[in-house]
Amino acid sequence: MDVLMPQLGETVAEGKILTWFKQIGDDVSEGDNIFEVETDKVTIEVQAITAGKLTEIRVAAGAVVNVGTVVAVIGGAAAASAVSPVPAPVTVLSAPAKAAPVPPSAIPTPRPSGLLDPFNEVRTASGQYGGQREANGLRMTPLARRLIKQSGIDLSRVVREANARGADRIRERDVRAAIQALPVIPTASEPARLVPTSVDDAVPINTIRQRTGQRLAESWRTAPHVFQAIDVNFGAVDAVRARHKDRFKAQHGTSLTYLPFIARAVCIAIHDFPQVNARFDGDRLLVSRDINLGIAVDLSHNGLVVPVVRRAGDLTLEGLAKAITRQIEKARTGTMTPDDLSGGTYTITNNGSFGTLFTAPIINVPQVAILSTDAIRKRPAVVETPQGDFIAVRPVGMVAQSFDHRAFDGAYSAAFLSRLKQTLESRDWESEFA
Amino acid sequence: MAELTYRDAVARGIAQEMERDERVVFLGEDVAKAGGVFKATVGLYEKFGPLRVRDTPISEQAILGAAMGAAMTGLRPIAEIMFADFAAVCFDYIANEFPKLRYMTNGQLGCPLVVRTGNGGGARFGAQHSQSIENWTMMIPGLKVVAPSTPLDVVGLMAAAVRDDNPVIFHEHKSLYAMKGEVPDGEIVDSLGTAKIVRPGKDATVLALAMMVPRAVQAAETLAAEHGIDCEVVDVRSLVPLDTQTILSSVVKTGRLFTVEENPRLCGWGAEIASIVADEVFWDLDGPIVRITTPHIPLPAADHLEDLAIPNAARIVERVLRVMNG
Amino acid sequence: MKRKNDDISTADRLELYRLQVEIRDCEKRAYDLFLQNLVKGTSHLSLGQEGIAAGVAMAMQPGDLSFCTYRGHAHTLARGVSMEKVLGELMQRDNGLMRGKGGSMHLTSVEHGVMGSYAIIGAHLPIACGAAWRAQYLGQKDVSVCFFGDGTTNIGAFHEALNFAVIWKLPVIFVCENNLYMEYTPISDVTAVPNPAGDRAAAYGLERIVIDGNDADVVYRTMQAAFARARAGEGPSLVECLTYRHSGHSRADPAKYRPKGELEEWLKRDPVKIYRARLAEFGIAEADIAEIEQESKRKVEVATAACKAAPIAPVEILTTDVYADGGWAWRN
Repeated sequence: MDVLMPQLGETVAEGKILTWFKQIGDDVSEGDNIFEVETDKVTIEVQAITAGKLTEIRVAAGAVVNVGTVVAVIGGAAAASAVSPVPAPVTVLSAPAKAAPVPPSAIPTPRPSGLLDPFNEVRTASGQYGGQREANGLRMTPLARRLIKQSGIDLSRVVREANARGADRIRERDVRAAIQALPVIPTASEPARLVPTSVDDAVPINTIRQRTGQRLAESWRTAPHVFQAIDVNFGAVDAVRARHKDRFKAQHGTSLTYLPFIARAVCIAIHDFPQVNARFDGDRLLVSRDINLGIAVDLSHNGLVVPVVRRAGDLTLEGLAKAITRQIEKARTGTMTPDDLSGGTYTITNNGSFGTLFTAPIINVPQVAILSTDAIRKRPAVVETPQGDFIAVRPVGMVAQSFDHRAFDGAYSAAFLSRLKQTLESRDWESEFA
Repeated sequence: MAELTYRDAVARGIAQEMERDERVVFLGEDVAKAGGVFKATVGLYEKFGPLRVRDTPISEQAILGAAMGAAMTGLRPIAEIMFADFAAVCFDYIANEFPKLRYMTNGQLGCPLVVRTGNGGGARFGAQHSQSIENWTMMIPGLKVVAPSTPLDVVGLMAAAVRDDNPVIFHEHKSLYAMKGEVPDGEIVDSLGTAKIVRPGKDATVLALAMMVPRAVQAAETLAAEHGIDCEVVDVRSLVPLDTQTILSSVVKTGRLFTVEENPRLCGWGAEIASIVADEVFWDLDGPIVRITTPHIPLPAADHLEDLAIPNAARIVERVLRVMNG
Repeated sequence: MKRKNDDISTADRLELYRLQVEIRDCEKRAYDLFLQNLVKGTSHLSLGQEGIAAGVAMAMQPGDLSFCTYRGHAHTLARGVSMEKVLGELMQRDNGLMRGKGGSMHLTSVEHGVMGSYAIIGAHLPIACGAAWRAQYLGQKDVSVCFFGDGTTNIGAFHEALNFAVIWKLPVIFVCENNLYMEYTPISDVTAVPNPAGDRAAAYGLERIVIDGNDADVVYRTMQAAFARARAGEGPSLVECLTYRHSGHSRADPAKYRPKGELEEWLKRDPVKIYRARLAEFGIAEADIAEIEQESKRKVEVATAACKAAPIAPVEILTTDVYADGGWAWRN
């Protein structure tokens, strides 16, 4: 039977054999001292618990072994080795007996603490990076959501990456893979810096503009833009506007501009041509039943933001006017919430105040179209009467749309613009103020 | 430099401080003449004498109460509670007296003492002598709590604890007493409130304490070698003050968090850290936070049962693998 | 019949009376302020137990330390803490002893040797042992005195502390104020022996000392002997002082559990009345006695006014002094 290094005290893990009292070949009786062992705590003689002949000594005097190691074998009449319970080597520790060697410099220096607020002992993470279900029901980890929003990458690309991996949710690696898979365009990555000449002044580009710029570049790269324009006679609008603008100003504190009329007309036209109010998603359009109208706002030439008027289709003209004013105000004062910036389905960019004839805007992806309105000026216009055609002076402006040709064709877009023109020119705008 | 066992490191740390400061005294059951039931304080009685190293009756309340009275009036006592489980016997001092004294007296009185205690399982002592109670002490405002995992940390953190003017609970691990490690010569002073990255990595952060640290490292090696998952293992070391900066930076780097806790599941120390991480760095998490703990049961005495209950390297590997690939 | 001065001087007797009267008047005021809702929370009054507080305090030397329970106003006042600071703490004002952070049950003034009032029954007995151990270890001569009630003698920490103090021969004196009731229950219902402290002394190898706690002179003399023993290195003493509390356990307790007539009997043995008569017995002038009484009332009024005018503590102190650095940071 096996003779083991015994467990001689709690928390002792090994023992050193000091002396063997028996030699190989010696007879051993039950109770004889066979060896002497030294542990961390004590030195003790170990007796044989069985009779027989000492057939093997496996561990020499002076050696240190783990508790439970077989140190000798007593053979012979005690085939009762089967009877004696042979405890499994007691691995009290699954820990290695030694700690990894550690340099003295391994004593870490304390990190300083910032000021702790007793009612905010834990500083909740800030940042709104969208909900976890925005990717067509595929869940996204918080990190993935943040990376998507911060990189500005099109969610559909990421979804594609995740699907390719057969993933049931979008994680960081899917976002990183999608970013990696973007076609490399020198301007998209960090180019070698230009060297300013002596006549250059370096003007920093602020963060908002940088971020917007990245999104615009992405949009330009991915959506094939087609531009269509139509001229609109704003005479009818103007007449009604003139009648109501003072009262409106007195009542709401802001002017009644052309924009709410245009926005209302857009909502009406979308009703007939709903596909312009959609988001592009690879093999399908997500046509929205709500019109969440984005109004592009210039922040004093310091960048663009696009606050959203939600469910604009449900608003009256006055309601639209107020909502648009409110969103623009929020944008200008920097008090927008995440809800104000998300969920847009169609965008209007109003450049009228700058006096331009027309503007070919960049689509606010993943939307599929964007409207630009420019200066409305007195121009000669043909007026048809029963008495014949005459030239008259009328306020006329260009209304133009850039659209994503993957979503629909020029005929559809043109038809939308025609409907828009027709609404602006012939709608009974007075009844909107009833 | 010398190789020291964890138990020798305890004696070394205490001796270092007792040599430095005459106000440091030490009391407990069988700690003086016998050198401690775990032989962790051998030699102190011989070196510092019967006035500074004192054997007490079996009176846990008197031990901690006397330590407190002495600390309040000018000494720097170290008190031993032999098995951490016995903290329940004298819990009034740990929960109600030490940590509230300074606050209630508006700063007039303080309690600069260290309670060192034999924490943790793995020694087949059964349910009432094997508990990991670090979470019991973590939850009381006004205490500081440390749990070293190596002989070096024992010495350095013991010094820091004695020098700290607050009540410090020093959780030694009974099953680490035989562990050996390199300890440099000379005075060693560490700091409370600091965690240590014992294995840098980039795929997942694994927090561990005391005996769980070497197991976490072992699991990390297996995960790296056999599964290509590179874990960063952080030895938390100090529950209060908590080195949240090290922990949070690590999670921000890896995006994943696992804790390996010897305490039973409910309200274990990892639960608090999981909450802090989910709150402060939510947007850096790339997957769920997972705690690997002893089940919420008393610990059995039988070795195969106890080994099953307390997290081991294999269980850590299995859980990390399942969660990372799931 | 005027008696000649004995071992206690006139000056000491006047002081003993002053201590009792001022404790009585201040505690009565605390009682009234509670009824006016100006003292909040809970309050455990020592009305009727003034003899013990005064007698022990007189025997103490500067540097000696006292530890008491939540029924600690008397002991705090007896060691020289002002009425304003005590009432201020009860009224939770910024001028209170701990600026309202501790409250009635935790009165502490290290400056006066009042090393805390303790609300967990029995907790401070081992703590007092520790303070005494420190004195012994450093070779200092101060003695720690530990006050507690009859109910404390049945809790574990009492027994641990006594055993501990005896085996280490610590300079600590355990003073049991036996007011016959453990909170709402007669102590005799819940204790195995008639004198809860006195009859346990032998278990710890100590002398049985049971005295009339309502006679400040008796308390004073007994304590002088105990202090002498402690300072001589002869170890601890356990002194049981029989007394009675005039009010309930705490302000919330109307003490209806007392048998009929018991309170009246004990009011005849009111320590303040007893001592007033004692002064007369030793020929102290009525004018001097009256002056103490008037001065006490004046002090109470001044303190009350000051506390009523005092602001509450600024909210910043909510999180101060959790840790030794003055802060509360549990994380970085």
